[in-house]
Amino acid sequence: MRIRISHTTEYHYDVPPTGVIQVLRLTPRNHEGQYVVDWRIDLSQDCRLHPYEDAFGNITHSFTAEGPFDTLQVTVDGVVETQDTHGVVRGAIERFPPAMFLRDTDLTRADAAIVAFAEEARAAGDPLKMLHRLLELLNREMTFDTSPTQSSTTAAEAFALRRGVCQDLTHVFIAAARHLGIPARYVGGHFRRNDGVTMQEAGHAWSEAHVPELGWVAFDPTNGICATDAHIRVAVGLDYLGAAPVRGSRYGGAGETLKVAVEVAQASWQSQS
Amino acid sequence: MGGDASYGNAVPPTPNPSPPLRGGRGITPAYAESLNMLSRTADNLYWLSRYVERAEYLARILEATLRLTALPLAYVGASNEWESAVATAGCSSAFLAAHKEANEENVVDFLAFSSDNPSSIRNCLELARHNARAVRTALTMEMWDAINGTWLELKRYGNGPSSREEVLRFLRWVQESSLRFDGSAYRTMLRNDAYWFSRLGVYVERADNTARILDVKYHLLLPENERVGGPLDYFQWSAILRTVSANTAYHWVYRDSVKPWFIADLLILKDEMPRSLSSCYEAIVRNLDSIASVYGRQGAAQRQARGIRTRLQNSRMDGIFQRGLHEFIGEFITENNRLGVAITEQFLV
Repeated sequence: MRIRISHTTEYHYDVPPTGVIQVLRLTPRNHEGQYVVDWRIDLSQDCRLHPYEDAFGNITHSFTAEGPFDTLQVTVDGVVETQDTHGVVRGAIERFPPAMFLRDTDLTRADAAIVAFAEEARAAGDPLKMLHRLLELLNREMTFDTSPTQSSTTAAEAFALRRGVCQDLTHVFIAAARHLGIPARYVGGHFRRNDGVTMQEAGHAWSEAHVPELGWVAFDPTNGICATDAHIRVAVGLDYLGAAPVRGSRYGGAGETLKVAVEVAQASWQSQS
Repeated sequence: MGGDASYGNAVPPTPNPSPPLRGGRGITPAYAESLNMLSRTADNLYWLSRYVERAEYLARILEATLRLTALPLAYVGASNEWESAVATAGCSSAFLAAHKEANEENVVDFLAFSSDNPSSIRNCLELARHNARAVRTALTMEMWDAINGTWLELKRYGNGPSSREEVLRFLRWVQESSLRFDGSAYRTMLRNDAYWFSRLGVYVERADNTARILDVKYHLLLPENERVGGPLDYFQWSAILRTVSANTAYHWVYRDSVKPWFIADLLILKDEMPRSLSSCYEAIVRNLDSIASVYGRQGAAQRQARGIRTRLQNSRMDGIFQRGLHEFIGEFITENNRLGVAITEQFLV
């Protein structure tokens, strides 16, 4: 599927900052199921966008914008060609052995409730079956709700509420999978909805778990499915913080408001003749 | 893997069946509704470019080999460079069937002038002109002049120049002719499917050629083979760089003396280097994408090209050396040929 993505992050400051420094993980890479046809990052301030690759192999850009300014806008815009691989992720950049992704983080630490929940899936048998069982249980157990959680909510907190956004469901899934001894990681990206809604308030998130023989397989607990050709994989990490699209800080300024707009739509072939 | 084995399923160096013999083909149903071009026209344009590119590549190999063999024996060692030239051109078995040993005289004749060798420079240029004539209306005046002029002038060279200087002049002329044709296409062609098919021919052939150089010379590029300052390797490495016009580029990119793993990196993974495998695939993917976007449909060729491009982008040189440079190149040649077949099946028949 050919998918066009336009992702705008806009900061507005009541008191202009003297400078802003940010790290962007907004650029997808190619693997067997996806090919980036065209991709561009645009900033509203003049500054130098420094590209590099982080430890996980994500394409990362950093910049320092000198203020003062009222607004700062980061726009990415591009076209990606995807294929359905039934969730199996092959040919992606792998800088670490899978066992590294058994490591706990603050956001994905399993508490007693998650451990008990994960144990329910253990009976399913081999790792792949356990993961599918987990996916099914989690999708049923937790409700999608944007109000109660923030980006700093941990897996345990969200699970106690039984509510959360894709990020929270993914954290719980990762925590449970790691408890079962299956390496799991966080994937930040985009999702083309098939209900015709193209404007979204945020990007999407799901997880990848390492299954012997198959390699990394992508599970999307929010939708209760394995990743399809509607998923565009942008960055991976141990948790949200490692794959966050934008992280940064500012000197001075106050009253920061953030607005994110994501448009993900199937691109039609442009007709040129 | 033996020298010739990896060319088992190489693009047949046999002449593209001459168009007039296969006339009478209608618009293939798949593309009829988008009313683009006849698949036969696409086929001719694609092969026209491939033949011109191949002629240039053969001239490059011969020129580099002539330079190498002009050096004193103590510098270049005892290896037979002419044999290696034939292997790089991918026609060892055909050559050995006709000749006992490889030397300057018979290799230059075989690769440049022989009409028995289906992919000699002469045959490539004749076939290129043959294809061009069949699609004369799809070419611009400049392109036709370039290819037809080359063909007419080729006759002047008769059965081959007598002296080494004349051979060199001939090889230069072949490269300049290719440059003129390529430049005419670039500067004058309408940017539509005709242009994209002709570009595809250039890049598929070029990727194949660069991979063949690496395949024959890979043993010189292995890291453990390093003998710092050894004149033999130094001249061999320079010859490889010269074959792909990368002598200056190398020093710009690496700012270092000539080192084998950097050469491999430059020719395989560097996007900036116009003859690298990675750069050829960037162009192949882009042109296939343009075709798909006009036709409104895509298929195996697009998917395969993107797959190869992705693998090249996600590879690093140390990983390639670890897995084996020779295996990597062998696989690439096979994949590239498979893409050639996919393009043919999807668009050209």
